[in-house]
Amino acid sequence: MACENCNCSNMYNENIFMPKEAVIVRAEMATATEKHFTLKWADDSPNYFEPGQFVEASLFGYGEIPIGFASSPTRTKTFDLIIRVVGRVSGALHKLDKGDTMLLRGPLGKGFPMDKLRGQNILVVAGGIGLCPTRSLIQYIMDRREEFKQFNLFYGARSADEQLFLDDLANWRKSDDVNYHETVDRTSENWRGNVGVITTLFQKTPISQDTRVIICGPPIMYKFVLIELDKLGIPHENVYVDLERRMKCGIGKCGHCQINDKYVCTDGPVFQYSQIEKLEEAF
Amino acid sequence: MNAYFIKDTDFTQFLGKMIEAHKVVGPKAKKTRFVFDQIKKPEDLRLDYDVTILPPKKLFFPPRQELVRFHGQKASSCIHPEGTILFGVHFYDIKAIDMTDQLFRETNPDWNYLANRECSTIIGSNIQNVYKRAFFSSVGKGVEPKGHDGFITKISGGYVYDAITAKGKNLLKFGAFTDATEAQLTEASKANKEVLDKCPEKLNNESLEISEKVRNQFKSPMWKEFSEKCFSCGSCNLVCPTCYCFDVQDNWNVDQQTGVRERTWDGCLLEDFSTCSLTGGHKENFRETRASRYRHRIMRKTSYLTAKLGGPACVGCGRCAGACTADIADPVPVINRLMEV
Amino acid sequence: MSDKVKIAYFDFASCEGCQIEMTNFGDAAFLELLNHVEVVEFREAMSEKTTQRINISFIEGSFTRESDRKRLEDIRNRSDIVIAYGACAATGGINALKNHQSDYKQDVYGKDADMPHLESTFALPVSAAIKVDYSLNGCPMDRNEFIRVVSHLVHGKQPVIPNYPVCVECKMNETVCRYELGDHCLGMVARAGCGAPCPADGIPCEACRGFVDNPNEESLITTLMEKGGLSRERAEARSRMFAANCRADAPHKIETPNK
Repeated sequence: MACENCNCSNMYNENIFMPKEAVIVRAEMATATEKHFTLKWADDSPNYFEPGQFVEASLFGYGEIPIGFASSPTRTKTFDLIIRVVGRVSGALHKLDKGDTMLLRGPLGKGFPMDKLRGQNILVVAGGIGLCPTRSLIQYIMDRREEFKQFNLFYGARSADEQLFLDDLANWRKSDDVNYHETVDRTSENWRGNVGVITTLFQKTPISQDTRVIICGPPIMYKFVLIELDKLGIPHENVYVDLERRMKCGIGKCGHCQINDKYVCTDGPVFQYSQIEKLEEAF
Repeated sequence: MNAYFIKDTDFTQFLGKMIEAHKVVGPKAKKTRFVFDQIKKPEDLRLDYDVTILPPKKLFFPPRQELVRFHGQKASSCIHPEGTILFGVHFYDIKAIDMTDQLFRETNPDWNYLANRECSTIIGSNIQNVYKRAFFSSVGKGVEPKGHDGFITKISGGYVYDAITAKGKNLLKFGAFTDATEAQLTEASKANKEVLDKCPEKLNNESLEISEKVRNQFKSPMWKEFSEKCFSCGSCNLVCPTCYCFDVQDNWNVDQQTGVRERTWDGCLLEDFSTCSLTGGHKENFRETRASRYRHRIMRKTSYLTAKLGGPACVGCGRCAGACTADIADPVPVINRLMEV
Repeated sequence: MSDKVKIAYFDFASCEGCQIEMTNFGDAAFLELLNHVEVVEFREAMSEKTTQRINISFIEGSFTRESDRKRLEDIRNRSDIVIAYGACAATGGINALKNHQSDYKQDVYGKDADMPHLESTFALPVSAAIKVDYSLNGCPMDRNEFIRVVSHLVHGKQPVIPNYPVCVECKMNETVCRYELGDHCLGMVARAGCGAPCPADGIPCEACRGFVDNPNEESLITTLMEKGGLSRERAEARSRMFAANCRADAPHKIETPNK
């Protein structure tokens, strides 16, 4: 039925729930539960996201899930998403392969504050699957290394089997551009590196008090990493955390990801720690 | 001068002509209660209603709303608003619509809501009968109702009609309106003022004070006590004019090819609202206890949205209080007690 | 051989009404669904029995006799997915009314009470004997939900079974609450998914789909007494009709799969 009250016809095209098609150019299992997809937009549009932002990834019939970009926008042709099998949607997405189409909405949310990180000493602390969204920042720094001062990277995985981005890890171990330290919770036969929780890595290298710190990992990890940062006297304004909640709509409406008065999907997922440390529901 | 008068005897004819020309939705009786529904006969319109079961948000944000239709993995949008005249909205619901307008518009405009909203004409009406749980006069006093297109007030012998916007003026052509006299305007303004003294319930403090003090009571043991009888049924959320949370689900049609991605109303009181699925079939509920869910709703009404909306996200309609079978949802005694601590 | 999803129906202690509900479909929707599924065993509608692997088995009726265990295990072994079909299979349903009583046989069957085929023990959900993947709740189960669940399974997606109470659906329907009309209702603790037709038709919800995951049973009793005007005795017994096995006081409380 026609609407005579306004000139609303131009609204029809602006359905914020309409996904865009992306083509899978590479797909392989990264671990037993995580699949690494490399994609490009089907309409060949360039990457226009910021490190730390996310998309709602979907297949019609199955639903949508929030997935952080796992590559940097400095790599312009394609982008990476790592999908862990958790439920209905991720299970369906895992069946996709090279040449298939994935539906994406985004980029969504606030990513890492690049203007506040440029020209600074950086420490990234990534635990488990937390390496995926932070990889967008790590790659960015590596690609524009001259824009940053000292770059430290701590990565903790449960075991060597669960380590992600093995090629990257091999490069970082050798690279002079990053001071990379890693650990696993449980050792295994061929593992010769550090064993222990991620906070043990703070003894491996000095971290200066003016460092900007980015943390992403399982909820339990934040508490212990923050204790280490407090020991180092790093102010909370200089600490950024990447949070995970049930981001269903991704556009700050549906309410599922709320932490007190914040919507993780639009106020975050990256937050300055000082802004949310007093939020009772944050940690 | 935008104020007009129409006689009782001409009012039915006005409604009849308007209904003939447009889809009109207004308050109608349903058993012992009232609902907003399409008015097909002038006598169905019940401007003497106290409150409706659901607020008028359902017209812009229906309980189930298709967002995207799909065929295989190809999509088509389903934003097809129908121009509607929403007639007879009380001022507290006008305030609430203004809030949801703002919330659906901010940051990422949601045209699935906004298109319905923009294609509607909203005509307010004065409150002739006050709901037994209403407290609209003591909440968000500084927040003016706005965003409506006209407002009609019952006075002796007829109605004063304030035609606010062009859409509001558009309705004048359907009735024998004359310019309102000074006396008629005074009577209308008196009716709208006097109804404020008739609320059966009252908050004892100003909204800004409440916003701060309630926020600081996050760790109070009282939340557990308040929520002891809570069923986590979400009724308080669903009937609230400023609640707008939703779930999104995909479903195939029986042909197994086509289907819809649709949103349905959700509520933060429901147990699974904040539950995240984790690997290996594990789940984490970020608001696991009844008390934490109960607290979230009250906080959201009193405090969380104050900065954004410039007032509380509550308009005092009293629907939550009436809808709660355990009778624990009424914010008035809860807030008054938290303010006494 | 067809690559359609193979489904089969089986029955235990029940009125078979949920299977009848299926044959009653008779409309375009069901016929269209048959383009995607093949019924390979269904005693109510066909005499054939299958030896093939079954993709989805729908089991109606409760588990009331130890001697039924073997048949249930056999169905489980032959099936990829087992669905408790209807209230009796999902929660024990109305049959579970006997679980807190001892004199029911005499009351119901009189002089025939000792007939050997009437021998049975507690009425339990099918999940008390075998692993059940999903439940189609309700007395009878809801055909729209049936189509939705089958559609999801045809696509290899875990079906979404509601875990919110009937109040949600009454609100969405804008139904006048039974309590406002001086009646009472179990909708606050009852698992939804039916679309709440009973309260809309003026009948209190009986919780035929069982309870939500964490029902506030204490508050239910208080509300039934204070608002619904029921005596304490009646308020305490009120939810037994369909939800006896879901109650905290059930003699054999079995966790039912719902997700």
